[in-house]
Amino acid sequence: MFRRTRRLALISAIAASAIVLTACAGAADPEPSAPVGEPDPDATLQVGLVLEPTNLDIRHTSGAALEQILIDNIYEGLVTRSQDNEIEPRLASDYEVSTDGLTYTFTLNDGIAFHSGAALTSADVVASYEAVRTDATLQGNAEFASIASITAPDPTTVQIVLSAPNQNFLFSLTGPAGLVFQTGDTTDLKTAENGTGPFTLTRWNKGSAITFARNEAYWGEPAGVAEVEFQYIPDFTAGVNTALDGGVQVLTAVDPNLAPQLEDSGDFTLTTGRTTDKATLAFNNAKAPLDDVRVREALRLAIDHDALVAAVGAGSTLYGPIPELDPGYEDLSDVVSYDPEKAKELLAEAGQEDLELTLTIPSFYGTTVPKVLISDFQKVGVTLDVDSVEFPTWLEDVYTNRDFDLSFVLHVEPRDFGNFANPDYYFGYDNAEVQSLYAQALAEVDPDASAELLAKAARIVSEDHAADWLYNGATITAVSPLVTGFPEDSINSRINLSGVTVAAPQ
Amino acid sequence: MIRYALVRGALLVAGLLVSSAVIFLTLRVLPGDVAQLIAGTQASPAEVQALRESLGLDRPLPVQYAEWIGGLFRGDLGTSLLSGASVGEELLLKSQVTVPLGIMALLIAVLIAVPFGILAALRRNARGGTALSVGAQALAAVPVVWAGMMLIVVFSVWLGWLPPQGFPRTGWSTPGKAIESLLLPALTIGIVEGAMLMRFVRSATLQAAGQDFVRTAAAKGLTRTRALISHGIPAVGLSIITVLGLQIAGIIVGSVVIEQLFTLPGIGRMLVADVGTRDLVKVQSELLVLTGFVLVVGFVVDLVHRAIDPRQREA
Repeated sequence: MFRRTRRLALISAIAASAIVLTACAGAADPEPSAPVGEPDPDATLQVGLVLEPTNLDIRHTSGAALEQILIDNIYEGLVTRSQDNEIEPRLASDYEVSTDGLTYTFTLNDGIAFHSGAALTSADVVASYEAVRTDATLQGNAEFASIASITAPDPTTVQIVLSAPNQNFLFSLTGPAGLVFQTGDTTDLKTAENGTGPFTLTRWNKGSAITFARNEAYWGEPAGVAEVEFQYIPDFTAGVNTALDGGVQVLTAVDPNLAPQLEDSGDFTLTTGRTTDKATLAFNNAKAPLDDVRVREALRLAIDHDALVAAVGAGSTLYGPIPELDPGYEDLSDVVSYDPEKAKELLAEAGQEDLELTLTIPSFYGTTVPKVLISDFQKVGVTLDVDSVEFPTWLEDVYTNRDFDLSFVLHVEPRDFGNFANPDYYFGYDNAEVQSLYAQALAEVDPDASAELLAKAARIVSEDHAADWLYNGATITAVSPLVTGFPEDSINSRINLSGVTVAAPQ
Repeated sequence: MIRYALVRGALLVAGLLVSSAVIFLTLRVLPGDVAQLIAGTQASPAEVQALRESLGLDRPLPVQYAEWIGGLFRGDLGTSLLSGASVGEELLLKSQVTVPLGIMALLIAVLIAVPFGILAALRRNARGGTALSVGAQALAAVPVVWAGMMLIVVFSVWLGWLPPQGFPRTGWSTPGKAIESLLLPALTIGIVEGAMLMRFVRSATLQAAGQDFVRTAAAKGLTRTRALISHGIPAVGLSIITVLGLQIAGIIVGSVVIEQLFTLPGIGRMLVADVGTRDLVKVQSELLVLTGFVLVVGFVVDLVHRAIDPRQREA
């Protein structure tokens, strides 16, 4: 009997190695890192990403996975934003804001055409923006609420008049709301596109890869590579393996714990990019016992933020609602320190010894953060139960129904301080002074003065301990030395590929 | 026979209808909806409501159910709320992974179960037979996930023979690679299901050994083993077919877990992803197709059984 099993094992071993050998014969081993040559205009850039979009309809569907690849590459707006979140002109060659902050006048670049071949005129801009303004199912509808009129005085000019000054308006045009679509186009945007960008969509193999080709008829500087293939690899380890096998030249969102493997291979250079990701520990401000500011402060004092950042592996501490890349940022580390003793005192003062709280967290965030919080809170006598749920459940229970004590979500949107000035947002934070300061900041025409008002409001929010900002996320990207010009910052919300080149290995 | 087939067929249709209602209603218990997911956390409640209306999610449940069933009768499995893709087309695409995986797993299971099951029965009183039975008992109790992880550790991590996960992007246009990536997952399901089947083959063989006709054959001069193999096992084969039918259902259920573990782009993984995004129109059609498949297998097994086994023919 034993002998037979062994023979079986031997046969299967031979069979398996035969299969492996035939499979290997076709694929050449990746070249060892060679000196970098001239950019190859016919090159294909392969980028590994984690989160695949569910469909390509950026007009109706929210989500960073869509904006990340589509904005600037396929679709363009009048303005866009740089890696530092600065606003830059895009389809518009220039724009002017009137001194009262109400009238925005954009002049279009020459020779812009949609991928269908049709020329883009100011009428397309008016129709696109008019749709966002009037159709509540389109992304950014709320951001366009302050628009009084959108007109096209001539084919290259667009004029937008607001009913009240809005410091955020121009920035909202850098998002999905500001993209320009062909008037009367019947393309099914869920699976196809008709943009104006430097790339066109060639193929989407759902669950696997999306491929772009260079738009040879692009109105601006043509892209540096002939083709881009986004490979979606949801598993972090599999992503690193693919990169090490030579399957991608760029791997985004590298798990900090796996980063050394890529660096040690010598085939990749790692960059750490800044983001506006705010890892937010939300407190249900509207519900006891978290409606007591002493309890909220105690929880913040109990968290060892430096240790937490170390455990997460990338990012930096953040003690207020506004990250470094957004206007109004200020270092608020003086507001809260790591002080478990003081935390215990505050809890005792609030009559909340032996406090038991539940943390509701979408399951894809993993267990690192909850583990640190459980142990930190344990030290001050707070028991933390972790309720790991699917994202739609989180949306229903926490976001819509406000049925939670504590919640953890990475809030990735830039310039979203307004959530703390909105008493109806799920934080349940209601402070009239913050709301008034935020309204003033929006209405303020001078950007610097507006930022000062935001900073003032952000300090109040942090001093009220409306939430805890566990860390400001950073994103690690592994880039092959053959690749030049790949963006570093904010790439989890925007990967502008027009300036990227790939050199032929020598 | 015809009357039996008609009654059995009516039962099949009734089963499908009941399942469709159960699937439809149980999915509606899930918290969260696709409209909220599409709109995101920056959307106002009014925007979400408008989206919900445009997707038809605000209509009464009976209307939604009737529309779904009506589409099914016209052969339309519906379209995904999220991706706009046809559910039927995507099922067909994903079945290119799941169906070969199931067939490979079934083959492996049968290849393990039949020879070893008969051997275990023949050597019932020897040490080897007992070891086989105990081994099968233990293997059948192994969770599929654990078995899969062990196989990954041995064949991918230690030996480096087979890929630990994924399916080639090129699909079946590179058959070698496709088979290679399905081998470990098929082995995982095949071993566990095979161990379960083996215990059945063993007890069925033993039962056959006790039958009068086997004893008669032995009395006519055949050895016990020969008598069992030439007379007993063909009689047992029939009940093995029934169990095999049940086994197919087990393999489908197993594929949901195994495709997740090996990140295979098959029906199981699609189902999990769609539940995760609350694409309920898609999930309910997918579930009904799977349920229908299991029910049809049962139906066919019953008919075959009836046709072959003389004892079951109606008087």
